[in-house]
Amino acid sequence: MTSRQSRALIAEDEVLLATALSASLQRLWPELEIVGIAANGIEAVEHALAAQPDVVFLDIKMPGKSGLEAARELAEEWPEQRPFPLLVFVTAYDDYAVQAFEHAAIDYVLKPANDGRLAKTVERLQARLDQGGKSGNPGSELERVLQQLRGIAPTLAPAPAAQERLRMIRAAVGNQIKLIPIEEVIYFEATDKYVNVVTADSESLIRTSLKELIPQLDPDVFWQIHRGTVVRIAQVQSAQRDEAGKLSLRLRTRPETLAVSRLFTHLFKQM
Amino acid sequence: MTTNATTIASRLPLIAPELLRSLVPTMVINLLCAVVVTYLMRIGAGFVENLVFSMCIGTTAMMLIDCGRILLWGKDEPNKPGFLLMLLIFAPLSFFIGNVIAGTLIGRPVELLAPGQANNAIGVIVLILLVCVGATLFYWNREKMAALEARNVVIEKQAVQAQLQMLQAQIEPHMLFNTLATLQTLISTEPIRAQQMLDQLIHYLRATLSTSRSAQTTLGQEFELTKAYLGLMSLRMGLRLTYSLQLPDELRPTPIAPMLLQPLVENAIRHGLEPKVEGGDCTVRVTVHDGMLIVSVFDTGMGLNTSTSYNKPESIHLGLENIRARLDALYGPLAELTLTHNIPEGAVAQITIPMAALYPDPTR
Repeated sequence: MTSRQSRALIAEDEVLLATALSASLQRLWPELEIVGIAANGIEAVEHALAAQPDVVFLDIKMPGKSGLEAARELAEEWPEQRPFPLLVFVTAYDDYAVQAFEHAAIDYVLKPANDGRLAKTVERLQARLDQGGKSGNPGSELERVLQQLRGIAPTLAPAPAAQERLRMIRAAVGNQIKLIPIEEVIYFEATDKYVNVVTADSESLIRTSLKELIPQLDPDVFWQIHRGTVVRIAQVQSAQRDEAGKLSLRLRTRPETLAVSRLFTHLFKQM
Repeated sequence: MTTNATTIASRLPLIAPELLRSLVPTMVINLLCAVVVTYLMRIGAGFVENLVFSMCIGTTAMMLIDCGRILLWGKDEPNKPGFLLMLLIFAPLSFFIGNVIAGTLIGRPVELLAPGQANNAIGVIVLILLVCVGATLFYWNREKMAALEARNVVIEKQAVQAQLQMLQAQIEPHMLFNTLATLQTLISTEPIRAQQMLDQLIHYLRATLSTSRSAQTTLGQEFELTKAYLGLMSLRMGLRLTYSLQLPDELRPTPIAPMLLQPLVENAIRHGLEPKVEGGDCTVRVTVHDGMLIVSVFDTGMGLNTSTSYNKPESIHLGLENIRARLDALYGPLAELTLTHNIPEGAVAQITIPMAALYPDPTR
């Protein structure tokens, strides 16, 4: 058994299902403390970062952020010295999710879950928590999860029908529409509700999300390097690591550097 | 339609296959003409020579008319007065050109306008004109039949597609399993609410499955189905979902095709309200205005994606396209579906159908 009491967070938008999962867990694993129930993906990330539980149950389809998006964000934001929580995804019916999870060997539970199936998950979680306590390496679980998440697209869906590539960006500047050819864009940066389109000598906001934009970009030309950044790879001059181990990119025609998040550092390993 | 130089140029490649297609029938007509001219009109030097002339004139006429038609109208149906005018010009023209070619082939100059020949020439030109008109009518009808057949194939395909999508859309597995999960929870904790929810699920399943089998239902029945669906969703989403259904009593018996309203409501929930953190309201309202039935689904959800167009026919939204295709096939071109922004937030999906089209003519 684990030396200290294990703590879990449940992220599930349907109140009834969240309480049901909580009740089942209490029955099967009385020592587990449920630190809270998050009603959407955004709350899930905030709550998990604040409470730092050992286990997080993530519903796949949640408002705000999907379970996978929340997991990616957690993996990027999690403090390195703390052990990363064990993630269990919960889904009602999602062929694509289940396929992806099986492929990446991620633990998942199907709704409605029976106690028998949930008991197996609980056993697995307990065994892993025991192991983690012994090995004492807080980074290993994080590295494992990063590996798994890299293999799964953040939005689980069948590959969208070949979308037309974006060639011209229309940005509203005052009451004018400015046209920016895609060839001039150096990087895209997500802000609150907008995307900042940066060229060698200008910055313009467009009202869209990075999520909608990415499928319209040529993946060989534009690389995502952070949850909120997509860069023209030919514009990257060098990548360097600072003392804290954070990776950042220097650009050819812009003075600023761009941060690479954990999920994407593997793209810049030495050849 | 404007026919400028570039569209004419773009049509040039269409000509060759068209000419090939017309070649054999033209030969047959030419042969018949030679027979008519030789043995009925009794003109010319004999059957063989007349056949040469007939071939030359007929083929010239065919080429002139086909080229003219394609260059001016492309693959579209030509407008009738313009086409007749073209025939009036091309018939005598092909008579003269064909005569010159045939004369050269035979090796003897032809004196077309020699005295005493004029009557014969006019007779032949009239014959050519009649043959041209006849041949044209024949082609027109053939093409119309082909177009009609193609349209039927398209309609049939749409019907099959709609059926398939209906089956998929009706009971979305994600919705069903989430509902079952909720039921499972409620059974032990709140059996009375579980009972209510089960009732609604049964109602929803029964209505969805039965409408898929019948071609017609009523607005009243469609609203019952919508009510059951929204009832289930509100149990699951709790305080995040409010809804209201507004159907005037006198409109309850109005006949309507199934699966027009429900996909719109399910879209409002699935794409509008379910993904929204704070949830919102869904209102379904039916009104009649200027002889048009207007079914509106308002939501205060995520709103429409500003970068994609939902109202263009080529839009990639299959579900919407399907509803549009079915509206067009069932109620004609005046029936339409529009998707617009709701003020201040969310989306409005609106189906408009002429009342007259909802009550089909019983004699038809």
